[in-house]
Amino acid sequence: MWLLWAVVASHPGATAADHTALERMARGDSDGLAELYDRHGRLVYSLALRILRDQGDAEDVVQEVFSQAWRQASRYQASRGNVVAWLMNLARSRAIDRLRGRRSRPEPVADASAVVEMPDLAQPVDEQLALSGRAEQIRSAVDELSLLQRVAIELAFYEGLTHAEIAERLELPLGTVKTRIRQGLLKLKDRLAGAI
Amino acid sequence: MTGMDHDALREAAGLYVLGALVGDERQAFDAHLATCAECQADVRALGGVVRALPYAVPQVDPPPALRGRVLAAVGGETSRAAVAGAATRVRSSLALGGWLSAAALLVMSAGLGAYAYSLRERMSGLERQLRAAVERLDRSEQELVAAKGAADRAQLRLAVLTAPDMKQVELAGQAPAPRAAGRAFWSRANGLLFTANQLPPLPAGRTYQLWFLTPGAPVSAGVLKPDANGRVTAAFDAPGDAVAPTGLAVSIEPEGGVLAPTGAIYLAGLSH
Repeated sequence: MWLLWAVVASHPGATAADHTALERMARGDSDGLAELYDRHGRLVYSLALRILRDQGDAEDVVQEVFSQAWRQASRYQASRGNVVAWLMNLARSRAIDRLRGRRSRPEPVADASAVVEMPDLAQPVDEQLALSGRAEQIRSAVDELSLLQRVAIELAFYEGLTHAEIAERLELPLGTVKTRIRQGLLKLKDRLAGAI
Repeated sequence: MTGMDHDALREAAGLYVLGALVGDERQAFDAHLATCAECQADVRALGGVVRALPYAVPQVDPPPALRGRVLAAVGGETSRAAVAGAATRVRSSLALGGWLSAAALLVMSAGLGAYAYSLRERMSGLERQLRAAVERLDRSEQELVAAKGAADRAQLRLAVLTAPDMKQVELAGQAPAPRAAGRAFWSRANGLLFTANQLPPLPAGRTYQLWFLTPGAPVSAGVLKPDANGRVTAAFDAPGDAVAPTGLAVSIEPEGGVLAPTGAIYLAGLSH
């Protein structure tokens, strides 16, 4: 299943086709949305499910993400950015929003939105194709991190915890969390050299 | 911008690309990033890693019905047709009312009023039950978070105990606290686990601090907070690669800890 998915997702031209689909959506053609959903719905759903661990909530997030993509299609299409990276960002912030709401946790200090926005990182167009073919490699690289590095990165990425919240959860000094997260990401970068 | 800013801020690049930096820390990093090419390169490289993470998530097929829901939500033909159908049904029931006698309508509306009242009653009962259920769910969610935190910490401690490079250090009570004793397990890769008992109560404004003893100056591992019975168990980060610990010691220091030991030694032990 993994291999099949990698082959399907890394179909050449997916990025160009994504922009064509967005163009159609911007014109109000819902077939464009259907196409985008058929190509990336599974990736969006899997990420939401991993974050929320609840099928109903994950389904709601998928619907919200594609509705938002529909509304903002023309604006995003003009930016020529990477469509999957955009969908993933929408999915992650909506899922974490919901997770925080579910836990009725206080918001991070002085932050208007529930989830901390990821910095806007421009993604090379071909990167997504390379990534989707390397799913196994990415997963085994994550497994090779030290436990502390992996847990700290996962708490930030999948639970949207802030620096202070991770330190509190793991009962570790702030500096340790900061260092271990950086070391972990650097190690992943080395292991994935070529894939990203 | 100074070199010191850069060194301190550069460490935060990982937190930044994960979106875990907030408030002042985030602002300081943003301001530094605008002028520092080296940190910009770091953020680009580590950002690529973060974008790779969703691909490591096990892939699960969404339920087939979700596709229809997604398309219907953006106002496809289906949902417009459904609204039109509902409007027709309302109109025909009004037409039905046209030929009913006024008396019949009166009887009917009285009956409907009672029915609506009982519906409202049942509804508010159900709402109460729902609220109670949601509150219970909230509580168990919070308990789950607490349990997960405990499990994460236990897992980290287990990693120290089972590390191939695990070393054990027994610490003996020194002159100020002859009955105190401590034990530490540490691994360069997985950190330090420390436990001690019979530590005397601290005077106000003082703290216990744990030190790695090295051939050079001692290096702080962190401060200890014993409970009312003088017991403490805590996890610390392993010393940097440059430090080769030969043992551990606990001293009494001003609150918050200090960079180099100044107070009396309460516990000490050498690594075997």
